[in-house]
Amino acid sequence: MNSRILPFLFLKLASLLLASLLAGCQPAPPPAAPLPASLPAAPAKLTHLPLSGNPVCSGSFVSHRLDFTTGTRLREIGTYISNGAGVAANDLDQDGLLDLVFASVDGDSTLLWNEGGLNFTPQPLPARFTRAVSTVDVDGDGWTDLFFTHRGRAGISFWHNQGPAAVGERPRFELHPLTGVDSYAYAMGWGDSDGNGRLDLVTGSYGVELTQHGVAADDPQAGVHLHLQQEDGWHTQVLAPDAETLSLAFLDLTGDGHPEIWAANDFGLEDHVWTRQGNRWQRADLFAQTSYSTMTIEWGDIANNGQLTLFTTDMNPYDIHPRTLAAWLPTVTQLAAQKRADDVQVMANVLLTRASDGRWHDQATRQGVDASGWSWAARYGDLDQDGLLDLYVVNGMIAADLFGHLPNAELVEENQAYRNQGQRFTPAPEWQLGSTASGRGMLMADLDNDGDLDIAVNNLRSFAQLHENQLCSGASLQVELQWLSTQNRSALGAQLLLTTDSGILRRDVRASGSYLSGDPTRLHFGFPTGTTLQRLDIYWPDGTLSSFENPPDHGLLRVTR
Amino acid sequence: MTQSTLTLPNVLDLPRLFPLLSLLHPRQHTRLVLASLGVGLLVSYTAVALGMLPLWAATALVLAILLPAGLLKWHDDYRRYGTTAVTLSILVTTQGVHTVEHIVQWIQYHLFYLTMRQSNGLLSPANSEWVHFVWNWLVLAAVVLLLRSGMRGSWIWLLLAVALFHTVEHTYTFVRYQIILRELTAMDVLNVTAQGLPGIVGRDGWLARSEWTRGTWICSLPGLTTAVRLDIHFWWNTLEMALLLVAGHRHLRRHPL
Repeated sequence: MNSRILPFLFLKLASLLLASLLAGCQPAPPPAAPLPASLPAAPAKLTHLPLSGNPVCSGSFVSHRLDFTTGTRLREIGTYISNGAGVAANDLDQDGLLDLVFASVDGDSTLLWNEGGLNFTPQPLPARFTRAVSTVDVDGDGWTDLFFTHRGRAGISFWHNQGPAAVGERPRFELHPLTGVDSYAYAMGWGDSDGNGRLDLVTGSYGVELTQHGVAADDPQAGVHLHLQQEDGWHTQVLAPDAETLSLAFLDLTGDGHPEIWAANDFGLEDHVWTRQGNRWQRADLFAQTSYSTMTIEWGDIANNGQLTLFTTDMNPYDIHPRTLAAWLPTVTQLAAQKRADDVQVMANVLLTRASDGRWHDQATRQGVDASGWSWAARYGDLDQDGLLDLYVVNGMIAADLFGHLPNAELVEENQAYRNQGQRFTPAPEWQLGSTASGRGMLMADLDNDGDLDIAVNNLRSFAQLHENQLCSGASLQVELQWLSTQNRSALGAQLLLTTDSGILRRDVRASGSYLSGDPTRLHFGFPTGTTLQRLDIYWPDGTLSSFENPPDHGLLRVTR
Repeated sequence: MTQSTLTLPNVLDLPRLFPLLSLLHPRQHTRLVLASLGVGLLVSYTAVALGMLPLWAATALVLAILLPAGLLKWHDDYRRYGTTAVTLSILVTTQGVHTVEHIVQWIQYHLFYLTMRQSNGLLSPANSEWVHFVWNWLVLAAVVLLLRSGMRGSWIWLLLAVALFHTVEHTYTFVRYQIILRELTAMDVLNVTAQGLPGIVGRDGWLARSEWTRGTWICSLPGLTTAVRLDIHFWWNTLEMALLLVAGHRHLRRHPL
């Protein structure tokens, strides 16, 4: 053989190898068959409501300071006060406006009553030293209740919404016992896991913080616990005795139509997924890769192809400037990563898509979202209303025992906004969402009732923020479900498909998932102006389907069943 | 015996098939090499077993004891075959040892599940930016010397390209290492190392993070923006070693010793 040909053969072989690696590095995605087409019909009534807000347009987001702080009463912040607290939103007083609830690691939690026009009236709630917050109508009385997890040894607190004492007054919240639910809790998740029409609760404890508070590692109240709500009260199952859980979710990860339970764990403890087998829950191995210190869980259909894409956050600097790395290095060297056989963890955000082998594979680097700083909450949301879910991540860290080498022991970072371009995410600095406050909990909701998604952030050691969406692009439809015949009044777990002339948009009703935070049950569909909406399909949690042809292309739809 | 010869079966005639074996053979220094290796291993093993030396020092001791025999052998190569052959002989030997070091690191990380920082190979203090930087420039210089002294063929040019890129990568990491050390010093952080940070390719490297490449098809290439540094440098060295062996083999087939 001519020796001059050999190097070229070598190159060709290398390229063939590369091509085979490309083809083989990840199994092909499964066919898009997210939800069954023929299901028993569920008659439902549709009410179209106008939105009261007037959009203000500047082409970017505009940040407002909210009258709430957490972490400012402490002389010094160390681990794990540093993990901050969450925020939740829902219409608590049924005035059509979404109210905010902020948890606080060093004081009272606070309700911010939405008065319209981005005016909020604070009302402290004597729920103290709180972490996560959810807004859930747990007893199906039509009023949304509040649930908090707390720092240290305290369990869940349940603040029952009593409704207003008189017409024109705001609802009152009373602390009620949650008899039968007595596990330590850092994170919580809500859903109807057994399909009995009542909401169940899953809680996860944070082992390192419990140790700080003198709790033994084998304490039976620690770990991941599933609390099933049944007619005679709450019944608890232990899913895992050990937990470093920062986020929890009920989510169908296997595509069988039933939700799994996903616990996202900090440090070297891998994320766990349990799938239901009859009356038992069994561990399932579904992830080819996970974050190492998984802070948050987020999911959505980012490609409008009927497939969910999962996203979790971790600690990874978003730029590699030497000054940035120098700020991180003294801390990172303390976080000596443990490593085990078959360890699937990587210290980076992961963006997981489900492949034909049934497992979820990481695409974060390919999509440009593997590093967003010391990241906490992350949310998908169609911020620019182009029909594609964008991504926002809040970040930063304050801890004297980790970042004592930095001024005020604070790692100052800019929150990261990513625009979904269809094939990948690109940074969107033009949206001006790069706040340098140390964000922890975060949610997206239409807080000024003008149709687009605003963002509320619970910052540590600085004022909470509301980033008002003034992009004024595209159009939107918001949908709210009312399932009056069950205790799951907001239909948590329902899947909604909005078929348009440019694609199918998918959303689901949820109350929790993102880091320490609670979502509103009002869903937002964004789409380009001029899009024709052809059909809205609602897959209820009991396996029935409601379909509406030609839904309106603006405002708020209330679907009552 | 004054001169040792290879006594392999003629049917295989390995030295003729693979003339690099003849070049690397210690010939009359075989006994000295074997004796040095034996003494080195014995002393080092004993020192490690008695807790007198750490593994890296024992490894260094073995190499130090082998060095005189190696120098004699390379001197003999120079007298017999000239500059090109002795350069090739030294490069194949030293780069071979270097590759072994990377293989050990790879085993430590992937088979023994040590952490990245613990997977330091046999010569852990040598796993530093300074050593990598100097070493790769020396390898590049040796490849250039091979070319200047008459070695030709497409493989040596491929080797030059790979060695050049590898050296650029280590120069990049070395420069950043220096800048980061300066930043750490400015923060009064003096007890933290900046070793082992990503370079141009691999997870969190320049390609993965640059605004020009981030999220593009480049990030879809397996490993290019996702492999950890240990794997990246294992593959750099494996590729370099493979190309060096092929280039040396082709050269010696064309220009027999």
